[in-house]
Amino acid sequence: MNIIGKREKRVDALGKVTGAAKYADDYNLTHQLYGAVKYAEFPHAEILSVDISEAQKLPGVEAVMRAADVPGNNCFGLGGDIRILADDRTRYLGDVVAIVAAESKAIAQKAAELIHVEYRELPAVFDPEEALLPEAPQIHTNGNEIVHHKLRRGNIAKGFSEADFIIERDFTTQPIEHSYIEPEAALAEPDEQDGIKVIGSMQNFYTSHKVLAGALNLPLSKVQILQSTLGGSFGGKDESATMVAARAALLAQKTGRPVKMLNNREDSVRQSYKRHAYKLHYKWGCKGDGRIAAMEIKIIADGGAYTSMSPFVTWRSVVQAAGPYHCENIKTDVYAAFTNNNFTGAMRGFGSPQVNFAIESMMDELAERTARSPLEIRLLNGFETGSVTASGQKLKHKVSLKQVLKEAAKKSGFEEKWNVNREMEKDDGIPDDGKRNVRRGVGLSCAYRGVALGAEGVDAASAVVYVQPDGSLSIASGIIDMGQGAQTAMSQITAEVLGVSMERIRFLQPDTGRVADSGPTVASRGTIMGGGAVKIAAENIRFILEKTAREWFALNDEKLIFKEEQIFVESQTEGLKQLTEFDVLVAKCYAKGRPLFASGVRHIAETWWDEETGQGDAYFTYVYGANVAEVEVDMDTGKVDVVRFWSAHDVGRAINKGMVEGQIFGGVAMGMGYGLLEEFIQENGVAKTVNFDEYYIPTALDMPEMEALIIENPDEKGPFGAKSIGEPALEMAAPAIANAIFNATGKQIYNLPANLEEVLLGRKLRRNTPRASVSCKIGPVKYM
Amino acid sequence: MHYHRPQNINILQELLQDTNREYTILAGGTDLMVEMRQKPLPAEAHILDISRVTEISSIKEENNQFILGALVTHQQLAESIAIQKYAPLLAVACRQVGSLQIRNRGTIGGNITNASPCADTVPPLIVLNAEVEILGPQGTRTAAIEDFFDKPYFPRIKPNEVVTRIRFKKLVPHQKSAFFKLGRRKALAISRINMAAILQVDENNIIKEVRLAPGSVFPAWKRVHEAEQFLTGKTANENNFNEAGRITSEEMIKISGRRWSTPYKEPVTAALVRRTLMLALEQE
Repeated sequence: MNIIGKREKRVDALGKVTGAAKYADDYNLTHQLYGAVKYAEFPHAEILSVDISEAQKLPGVEAVMRAADVPGNNCFGLGGDIRILADDRTRYLGDVVAIVAAESKAIAQKAAELIHVEYRELPAVFDPEEALLPEAPQIHTNGNEIVHHKLRRGNIAKGFSEADFIIERDFTTQPIEHSYIEPEAALAEPDEQDGIKVIGSMQNFYTSHKVLAGALNLPLSKVQILQSTLGGSFGGKDESATMVAARAALLAQKTGRPVKMLNNREDSVRQSYKRHAYKLHYKWGCKGDGRIAAMEIKIIADGGAYTSMSPFVTWRSVVQAAGPYHCENIKTDVYAAFTNNNFTGAMRGFGSPQVNFAIESMMDELAERTARSPLEIRLLNGFETGSVTASGQKLKHKVSLKQVLKEAAKKSGFEEKWNVNREMEKDDGIPDDGKRNVRRGVGLSCAYRGVALGAEGVDAASAVVYVQPDGSLSIASGIIDMGQGAQTAMSQITAEVLGVSMERIRFLQPDTGRVADSGPTVASRGTIMGGGAVKIAAENIRFILEKTAREWFALNDEKLIFKEEQIFVESQTEGLKQLTEFDVLVAKCYAKGRPLFASGVRHIAETWWDEETGQGDAYFTYVYGANVAEVEVDMDTGKVDVVRFWSAHDVGRAINKGMVEGQIFGGVAMGMGYGLLEEFIQENGVAKTVNFDEYYIPTALDMPEMEALIIENPDEKGPFGAKSIGEPALEMAAPAIANAIFNATGKQIYNLPANLEEVLLGRKLRRNTPRASVSCKIGPVKYM
Repeated sequence: MHYHRPQNINILQELLQDTNREYTILAGGTDLMVEMRQKPLPAEAHILDISRVTEISSIKEENNQFILGALVTHQQLAESIAIQKYAPLLAVACRQVGSLQIRNRGTIGGNITNASPCADTVPPLIVLNAEVEILGPQGTRTAAIEDFFDKPYFPRIKPNEVVTRIRFKKLVPHQKSAFFKLGRRKALAISRINMAAILQVDENNIIKEVRLAPGSVFPAWKRVHEAEQFLTGKTANENNFNEAGRITSEEMIKISGRRWSTPYKEPVTAALVRRTLMLALEQE
């Protein structure tokens, strides 16, 4: 291979480093108006009336809209319950009751303040467990249970009866913010034919397309969505970004003028969905030899105000809740419940970071109880090729779990360090020298992950490759780049198939009219699905090129080689012989009336699922990874420094090693934030961490020395064997850190994040705010 | 909104003489600009931008004293060879403020006048027995730094007064010092607790003088006289420093009662007292 695997320069690099890249807010139009929103004033209240008369009178105001003014569908999302504008009730404080378009942002903001809403307060609920009680306030019409996924395998009663001992633990994980550096923004413009064109910062622009067409009451063909360069997303710019785009589009349609809707950071935090907080109860029946006879798992996820992706997020949890470990008897129940918190949805990891924290903590406790090392216990219980998962799926691809574990352990010197630290930890507990009271620890984690959407949806993606008459190429894809490097990966795949250099390739701006609906760019499916589609499109082009070359040079079935911008023929007698140059062959094709424009569709449908038993082939393939964290714990303060980190991943095939490393380093940073620092705090529905002065993510100075260990076992399902790395890179970092703290201090972490208080005291500390429970009302809440 | 930008200290004083105005002082802007974004100033507000008053923008040494202009930035202090030598704890504290961008803009005058409970320069200035020079319509007055605050966010300063200088004595070689900051991360971190200490021991390792000031421990900044008295005349060692830590935490609870944060602050404050004193004792 000539280009696959190489550290090619990213196709979007130049624009980003020079500032030429245009993010959503960089687009402006003459005569554009500015939008503003009127927020909910109670986390749960009935809306009795919305008086917009004063706002309308303010000079400079062009439109004020309420839910009743939406011409089409005001509700959207997986559960059909997310409101573009709150209609009957407010369900969280990020709900928007009315929107304004005005000549300036300041006028729009002023007008929003002049909107008067009459409410009847309703009791609210902020704890998902309480929300599932019969007496809990009802947030929607059919109870507060969003979903209940079950998995039943074997017989747990039998399994527990055969166990020598039980490990039973409760874990909690916190909601977190995606922290994309670019907040949501959209510019909507009425077009010449009653349609609407929107340019904005959206991760899943095909979904946004359908929502906007529905809200505007327009056919899909009359709504065009262009995706601006994204300043990060991490799963976060789905419904939240769609809401912003839809509000801009509604105002543009109403006023006939372009409308810009822009969230500042506080707006973004207030409106947007978060990663689900989980409460996890794990009970394992264990054998004295370290094997697991039974697992009983119960998980409750806080879904917040709307359904969003809760059913799918928790579905991934139910599939992966038992980890990559053998166990014949498993009973798993995963619930998601409505509350009056911010709704929760997709975020990098998508239901795996929470369960991985619990599984990998349990595994280290099992190691401790059976006097084995964390590596030994994982090698004893871990999957191999041919193993059967909790859902009864036989793994027919190469299962590399033990390979990644051994690689991570070897490169980090895990076993030796773990043993040394463990002896130190049993020390007297007297400070080292008074100035510094630090203990070292290493922690191991591993995980497996189903690639792409799996049985949660149709998995198909499209791409278009166009070789223009001069031999330059353009590519359009339904899979988008949000900074992860999808465009570069797809360009490398195309360049490899056609034997051309990357310099020829221009990646086109995503546009709903350009490529068929390819589903969302989520679930680490960009390379495997988008890359697969672009490979098929490029092969379709190559088919025309080869046919033309064979006719031209009177060849039969000799093998043609495309590389270094040239076409070669391989013959047994003469070896490799140059036939012509790529440009010349392209010109020949056009001269023969054969334009080089082709699309490709990659569709994989080899999954099934039974909701009642939780059995099925959940995903068509899986990836495997292992992490080792080395930490220093300040025993006086609970401060944890991650000093080194090793992250091993079987990616199938690295399309671009530099970008795989980039994903791994970024994933470690994000996983470290989840493990140690980050927490989206709400008190009675009020967000307390509304900007980055209070919501802490790791800085460059906090990052450890990191080593990315790339392992390649090509998978037949992926383009050139490539699988996934986006989410695997993140999903097992926190438990590696938690286990390292355990190794250093002898105390396990049961609640994320492992912040100062958690490490020192084993719990979080909160200001004593009176808690609004099911029976008590909450006063009006105003931000800032 | 009205905006005034005096070019020198005389014009600054003239402006302050207009007592009908309530000035909002702008120096580095690291606090004010953020506050203005959250809550715009009213139309009748007067911003007094003192950033061009060059007389108060440098570090001066007079005899055995430092005279810091209020506009001296955290970065200037962190990089100053003289401060590193004769008030190293202040250099250490300034080096850990915010990020480089904030250290380049934020001023020492602003840090103490904003009086955030986690202000990193205040505990060092308290143990340095600093004096604050304040310019008002009638000229200058001075206040001991420990008397400069009612409580966090409430400096004892009138609307038409401006902090212009901060002065303190240089430390002599046998006065060891240390500053320790506990934050949740390594940069851009608000201090959870910080601690400043100056320690003087004789040739027999007996403590002659000790000054200890924590931040985010008491409702208002103060030295921990109870711990200082305990230590004075005793041997400088870990056991005694531990006891000083225990006394400090006890004092904290005596003043503030047991609060939501006490389970964490009680042991950690004690440990940081010991640690800061050890750092001072072993200062090179």
